[in-house]
Amino acid sequence: MTLQVMKVVGGYSQIPVLKEVSFDVQDGELVGLIGLNGAGKSTTINHIIGLLTPFKGEIKINGLTLNEDKNAYKKQIAYIPETPILYQELTLKEHLEMTMMAYSLDRDKAWKKANHLLSIFRLDNKLDWFPANFSKGMKQKVMIVCAFITDAPLFIIDEPFLGLDPLAVHDLLDLIDEQKAKGASVLMSTHVLDTAEKYCDRFVLLHDGTVKTEGTLPELRKALPDAGESLDDIYMSMTRADQHE
Amino acid sequence: MNNLYRQRLSSHLKEMFKYLRLVFNDHFVFALLIFIGGLGYAYSNGLKELQPNLWWAKPVIVVVLLLVLQLGRFATLFQDADVVFLLPKEAEVRQYLRGARTYSEGLAVVYELFGMFVLLPFVQVTDAMSVFDLALIAVAQLLMKDSLFSLAIIRRFQVKAAWLKESFWFKWAVPLVILLVSVYGLPVIGTVLALVLAVSLRVADRRYDAVPFDWWQAITLENNRMMGVYRFFNLFTNVPMLKGVAKRRHYLDWLLNIVKITPRNTYLYLYSHGIVRSGEFSGLYTRLTILGMILLYFVRGTWLPVALAVLFLYLIGFQLIPFYWQFDDIVFTHLYPIAEKQRVNSFRRLMFSLTGITACLFLVMVVIANQDWQVGLIALVVEGVEVVLMVQYYLPLRLKKKK
Repeated sequence: MTLQVMKVVGGYSQIPVLKEVSFDVQDGELVGLIGLNGAGKSTTINHIIGLLTPFKGEIKINGLTLNEDKNAYKKQIAYIPETPILYQELTLKEHLEMTMMAYSLDRDKAWKKANHLLSIFRLDNKLDWFPANFSKGMKQKVMIVCAFITDAPLFIIDEPFLGLDPLAVHDLLDLIDEQKAKGASVLMSTHVLDTAEKYCDRFVLLHDGTVKTEGTLPELRKALPDAGESLDDIYMSMTRADQHE
Repeated sequence: MNNLYRQRLSSHLKEMFKYLRLVFNDHFVFALLIFIGGLGYAYSNGLKELQPNLWWAKPVIVVVLLLVLQLGRFATLFQDADVVFLLPKEAEVRQYLRGARTYSEGLAVVYELFGMFVLLPFVQVTDAMSVFDLALIAVAQLLMKDSLFSLAIIRRFQVKAAWLKESFWFKWAVPLVILLVSVYGLPVIGTVLALVLAVSLRVADRRYDAVPFDWWQAITLENNRMMGVYRFFNLFTNVPMLKGVAKRRHYLDWLLNIVKITPRNTYLYLYSHGIVRSGEFSGLYTRLTILGMILLYFVRGTWLPVALAVLFLYLIGFQLIPFYWQFDDIVFTHLYPIAEKQRVNSFRRLMFSLTGITACLFLVMVVIANQDWQVGLIALVVEGVEVVLMVQYYLPLRLKKKK
């Protein structure tokens, strides 16, 4: 079992945003974290990557919590943020070097992987560019390349589909499949429900800081029989029901 | 739109005064008064040495007037978001620009008059021009400044004629000709030429009324102007608005290559690239080091140079410490699976190298200035102790405090 989020209560200040959130991501599984703006997706992710500490509850990656061994815990995560963030003073090549150093990767192997990924995302001729010269989509691709050269067992991907061109979206999904086949787990938050429906193995539906439902698409349909067929329908009916309460 | 400019101008002025207060703090005002007094004294003394009909007097007048003409820029106060939010208001952009012109040109006229006022004694000593001729030249100067503002407005519209946008001709070549005519030939002709230039550019500007406004160009020009202003203030105080642009600086790659690529050096790699490529901290470091070196060159004695070197080393070390947190708003700085201790060690090595280099340079200056190996020895020992104290004890203390 790779990622376990257990009864996490947490948030930025004293007021909890997350109220006893629990779910897990198994080895080789892609789980979609679905929710409206402000539902608590990013807060959940910030707790998992260790930027926030839960008030209550625990988060384990392969049985390890952040407090038990900070570095071993962090080493297991590859993170792709929603808004690409890069060091202004480092070139693309130097970002890759940084990642290799930080995760203690074997440089020859990592560069082989990196070159392959760079050519997929058509960045191989931009190794000496500064982030200032990249478009938003390109920056996102840099984040993807940096994440996928690590051999992390857990990938946390925050809203990857907005800003990427259709070709890159498919390439990313292929890469995710590849990692899943190797046994890595992926937690992905997104608003693009039809893509999520096609590719995710399971879904965690967050609403107002709590997990409304979770499960595979058939399980969700069973839980909400009148909602409809697609993830979109189910999600809409769930949020609407909540507003009527 | 007219109100918008007025609003922006008042907040702009508020910001400028805030910075001016920081620049002209008590010590600086005092130093500046002495400096200006000294300069005025030197100028008036210099004038006494001069005789009429010097061969270089007229060229100097022309060059100074040409340089003074460049003072005072067009402050449109446009902001990045204007391209979205003001787009539907394009029809009223003329009105906005009129407000901008009134303010900018008013300020520029003050600059021009002040420049000419300073130049006046020099002209009177070296050149026997009549008051009437002087007045004509002054009028020509102001008319040329006016034409430059018309040109600045034209440049902000999507005007196809490239020669109109070419700033070299209108900013330097044409004014040079007019000034030469005024100073060497007949001032009346120069003034008439300047009048023709000013009127025709104003007419040209009117005729481009239907041309679409070039938002990108206008915003870029304004950002460049503000950058210049901030960079000036940054010499004296910290300007948060100044987001430094990373520069590649190939010629310093050998320095960066000293850092071996191993996991232990992850943060050293980041910090060293940061310091070499960005302007903020490296500029501060270089400025203070050079200033210290210059001062040490002029200071003689046993303890005074040592005290000065210690003070400057402390200033540099003290100012470098915030660089530790420079990358904290980038999430990956926190995610890398590397212990905080290694980050501190990396920073310690960086600071040790930087202050060490400065200490060596200071030492060289002390020895050159004093030509005394004893003073050099004292400086060496004291500086060495200071660097070690700062890096080993002071830095960890400051880092802990921040937490």
